[in-house]
Amino acid sequence: MAPFKLGVDIGGTFTDIVLLGADGALFGKKILSTPDDYSLAIEEGVLELLTKASVSPEDIVAIAHGTTIATNAIIERRGATVALITTRGFRDVLELARFRTPKLYDMNFRRPDPLVERRLRFEVPERIDAHGGVVEPLDEAALAAVAAQIRDEGIQAVAVCFLNAYANPVHEERAVRILKEALPEASVSASTQFLPQIQEYERTSTTVVNAYLRPVVEGYVAALGKRLHAMGITAPFNIMQSSGGLVPATLAGANPALIIESGPAAGVVGCRRLGEQLGSGDLIVLDMGGTTAKASIIRDGELTIMPQSEVGGAALMGNRLLQGAGYPVQVPTIDIAEVCSGGGSIAWIDAGGGFQVGPQSAGAAPGPVCYDHSGTRPTVTDANLILGYLNPKALVGGELGLNAGKAREAIADLAASLGQAPVDVAYGIHQIANATMNRAMKAVTSEQGLDPQAFALVAIGGNGGVHACGLAEDLGVARIVVPPTAGLFSALGLLLADVEHQAVSALYRPLDAIVPDEVNGVLTPLLAEVERLLAADGFAGADARRIEVLADTKYVGQTWTLAIALEGVPVTDATLDALKSAFGDAHERAYHYRSDAEPVQLVALKVVGRGLAQSRDVALKPGERARAGPNETRDAFFGEDPGWLPCAVVGRGELGAEARPGPLIVEDYDSTIVVRPGWGARRDGAGNVDLAWGEDGQAWRAERTT
Amino acid sequence: MERSPIKRELLRNALEGIADNMMVTVIRTSRSMVVKSNLDFSAGICDGAGVMVAQGLALPPHLGAMMPALAGCLDEFGDDIHPGDILANNDPYSGASHLNDVFMYLPVFTPGGERIAFVGLILHHTDMGGRVPGGNATDSSEIFQEGLRIAPTKIHERGEPNRTLFRIIESNVRVPGLVIGDMRAQIAALQVAEREFQALFERYDANEVKAYMADLVDHSERLTRASVAALPDGEVEFSDWMDGDGVGDDPVEFHAKLTVRGDEMTVDFTGTSPQTTGALNPNFWFTASCTYAAVRTVLDADIPNNAGFTRPITVIAPEGCFLNPVFPAPLGARGQSGYRVRSVVLGALAKLLPGRMPACPGGSEFAVVFAGYEADRSPFLFLEFHNITGLGGAPDRDGQDAGPYWLGNIANVSVELIEAESPLLIEEYGFLPDTGGAGRFRGALGIVRQYRLLAEKATLQLRSDRQFFPPWGLEGGGSGSPGRCLLNPASNDPEVLPSKFIRTLKRGDVLRGEMPGSGGYGDPFTRDAEAVHDDVRQGKFSVRHAREAYGVAVDARTLKLEARATAALRAKGRNAGPRDTRSQMAKRTR
Repeated sequence: MAPFKLGVDIGGTFTDIVLLGADGALFGKKILSTPDDYSLAIEEGVLELLTKASVSPEDIVAIAHGTTIATNAIIERRGATVALITTRGFRDVLELARFRTPKLYDMNFRRPDPLVERRLRFEVPERIDAHGGVVEPLDEAALAAVAAQIRDEGIQAVAVCFLNAYANPVHEERAVRILKEALPEASVSASTQFLPQIQEYERTSTTVVNAYLRPVVEGYVAALGKRLHAMGITAPFNIMQSSGGLVPATLAGANPALIIESGPAAGVVGCRRLGEQLGSGDLIVLDMGGTTAKASIIRDGELTIMPQSEVGGAALMGNRLLQGAGYPVQVPTIDIAEVCSGGGSIAWIDAGGGFQVGPQSAGAAPGPVCYDHSGTRPTVTDANLILGYLNPKALVGGELGLNAGKAREAIADLAASLGQAPVDVAYGIHQIANATMNRAMKAVTSEQGLDPQAFALVAIGGNGGVHACGLAEDLGVARIVVPPTAGLFSALGLLLADVEHQAVSALYRPLDAIVPDEVNGVLTPLLAEVERLLAADGFAGADARRIEVLADTKYVGQTWTLAIALEGVPVTDATLDALKSAFGDAHERAYHYRSDAEPVQLVALKVVGRGLAQSRDVALKPGERARAGPNETRDAFFGEDPGWLPCAVVGRGELGAEARPGPLIVEDYDSTIVVRPGWGARRDGAGNVDLAWGEDGQAWRAERTT
Repeated sequence: MERSPIKRELLRNALEGIADNMMVTVIRTSRSMVVKSNLDFSAGICDGAGVMVAQGLALPPHLGAMMPALAGCLDEFGDDIHPGDILANNDPYSGASHLNDVFMYLPVFTPGGERIAFVGLILHHTDMGGRVPGGNATDSSEIFQEGLRIAPTKIHERGEPNRTLFRIIESNVRVPGLVIGDMRAQIAALQVAEREFQALFERYDANEVKAYMADLVDHSERLTRASVAALPDGEVEFSDWMDGDGVGDDPVEFHAKLTVRGDEMTVDFTGTSPQTTGALNPNFWFTASCTYAAVRTVLDADIPNNAGFTRPITVIAPEGCFLNPVFPAPLGARGQSGYRVRSVVLGALAKLLPGRMPACPGGSEFAVVFAGYEADRSPFLFLEFHNITGLGGAPDRDGQDAGPYWLGNIANVSVELIEAESPLLIEEYGFLPDTGGAGRFRGALGIVRQYRLLAEKATLQLRSDRQFFPPWGLEGGGSGSPGRCLLNPASNDPEVLPSKFIRTLKRGDVLRGEMPGSGGYGDPFTRDAEAVHDDVRQGKFSVRHAREAYGVAVDARTLKLEARATAALRAKGRNAGPRDTRSQMAKRTR
């Protein structure tokens, strides 16, 4: 039997599992998650899938996992009791935070409470200045007294974050040694061991989040590893990081702050690989599920990475100008815009007679009216059903039965109170959901100065294909790709990702005041560390890995940095000159101006090493599934003009290389694609459904402008 | 024409999307910290007659600002407005706000040539010239000292930049690179918005757009009326004070009479102190904006921001009073008074809606500037705001320590960034125990920030308040502690500083700013003893404060709660007078 890789992605409602053979054979399974012990659903789903695919556990050579365990542990407050040690005078940095509110005018909003209560935040006399000079030596006797208090409290997790430690970690390092000796049972972490970057609140928060999550994630990783072992699956086990790279599970356990956005990242990474296969580096990724839709951008084949994110801020949905809902984490994270628009979003009428869709969602319980699980308020899925877009009998290959009559009644009630025809209201719900998703797609394109028309749209998630054509028309996008197993695509994306290790060291210095030797002195140990980690994961040869050296840079006085690739190591004067001009170029690209006269500030140096994924070039061969009935047609509604049109309903396998014109409905096991009139759909050799407007989209644009 | 609520919602989304995109374009292309970090700007869309239809994320002081400055422009130019024109206005006496806020508007014409809309942007510019850098001085006595006044004019005319105006601005501001750069960002964002607006005509008929814009305003008005009607009818009055006007020491009274009748509300500031010499006077429109913001907190949160929201709310401030000064009163530092307008309206709402509103948020609207020269004679300028320190106690829970204010959104600045970029060492930044207003639900703690000057010398400018009139409590809750500023607190002879001043510091001088706590809610002797005990354990209360303010006994050594002693203390009742000394102070100082 050929070797197989196993991808497992846990979501709030479903656990998605994918098996990918070395020859491209692809098998997928959706199963309800088991939040009390996620590994239960994993075991059940994996066993079923192995049986179905006739694959034995020994044939699995790699496991990649995406999980929301870290985020959930913070939202549910299931982390460790942490003690925090700070510089004297700065005990409250963690609780003072940044005074940002994500919800103006809402006097009931409260930030989540700090992860370390005040009595467990200890101060010790010590002080380093901004240039790394010691202003006041570390008071070791005071530190010993603090250690004794921590021991008396029985605390197992200790975080140390001293002011300006990014500029000189000597006191933090000394403190860690003393604490480890005094508290042999505890895990002790210093802010500069992790990702030593400037800004004390964000660095403290990152260190504390990491310490808080460690026992939970370590326990989770160990339990899951054990369960897989018991099933006979002994392959190396990696977890997706927020940055889109995989990391060995044990390292993720020790550095859980790295995997906070693990879940959403995998789908985007999968789309990036898809783009490589398609020969298209500019993609808008839209992932529409039951509760939310997420948009992200791939530009010139690269992911868009933000230097930090926030975790645990459930309140933040919508305006990306506002921050402060959660705990900041200084970890590179794929930029993803999320809006409350999914299949479960509820349609309602406000006090002024206005028509709204979302942000409330019927979720999995009670679910849309048509699920017939006691839901009474019409949702986007109910509207899509009325419009003829969804199979009126069942979804998920027949596993989820639908009650179309109930959906019809619920929408008719809403329509009566609006004085409109039910079908117009259903179409309105569909369009308003699109308008909300458009905001997310614009947030990652036009709001970044990018023209969406230059991108292809990749629609994933169970509902992505239902809405894709309408969204593309609104944005002027002329090409859509719906990959195979679109509804399980995050799980597949896990199998297409590289392993990634990152080492960072702060170097906060104006570029003009730096000599190359200083940079080399910082980079040498970082490079050695990354090479060691890659070798440990089996990526030894130069062909198997790619190492990148980045400098976080900004103009003096700015807040945010840009990561600029350093050409050539060891660094010379010429390299530093090149860095300065490359920063100007990047700044111009990101912000549309450059100021060559202004001094450039170096903030940190980073080494990113990637162990390249083996399966990146595999042509996928999804297993075919039988559909309900051949030669089926059903009527679907496409707005006032052209109204109802009869649509052929086909399986993905029935599409060929020749484009078939819309209107057309393509039904898959895990998703549905609605091909609107004016679009053509064909299937490429890799099983992707490729949709194009007319020949190349020009027809549509011409129509629009007349 | 038949209207569909679905189409209206789609058009609203499109218009708000255009406004949001303007905001993002500004963030992406502007240069200054004020814009990038403090988000001190707003975007809006008005119809062809100047009625606001949609607003992007709106900072509270911009809530009612978009229309009056455009009205000032329309008064000046009438129909003499053409495609490609951009109108500019920063004149507080022509509808703008203060000189640093430059308002710009670009008209949108339909394919048929009808003026159907204006896209507009308010942006705070770093410097407009005048006597003091940044224009935030409290002690100006005429607007002429505050910088360049641009009465309604065209900064672009039929697509061409007005070079004369640009030259005048360039030669009158201290940091022309920054100011002109930000103005270019402002102009570029307007032009992008105009193109996006034009794209709507590909999808909608121009008359349809016009009709739905009017509809959107009516819809907001209906939502607002429904929301006001849900409030009880009544008439309430409330006063709050500022320590002084920045020139003299006389306290300034803010008085609000708030009336709800059916679906309409009136906020009348008659009875407020007369306008003063200093630069803290807000003009009427700033007063109105801050009033709308405070009122918004008790109305439906989802009401779209447009002219419909303000229609049912009438704001009255007699000409010549502190909140509606007459020409040529200066207004540069009116931001501070905006906080007091918000607090006095919130206080009135608390009387109208007992059991619904929290006590006053803490803070002294603390704004500090250190400016001078480094050893190599290169200039430095450090400016930061600590307007609010935390939240007031609420009817059902404590005010969150360091809780973010819902009527302001200015972040604190990282200590490490300050030290890396300015010759300052921050010696302490933390909570001040015992400073939250006592209450059944207590107010948030006050905050201390202590600065040591490392440069040879520097000019220090402080604008703060609440040294005499601390943040008020409600329903028997105490006020937060007052603010206090000290020079060289560790020396033998620390100097107590006033709330507003300019002076020179030398190397090694230390400024200690103790900022007030928030007001408490309800009788502190009814506060859950366990909650008091926890505050002691957390080091947020001293043992003494627990005993005196709350009647709760905690053993000073073991930090254990002493239940019997607590019961005895609480049975005996308080021997001190009422904790809220605000009204006494008002009597004393008036």
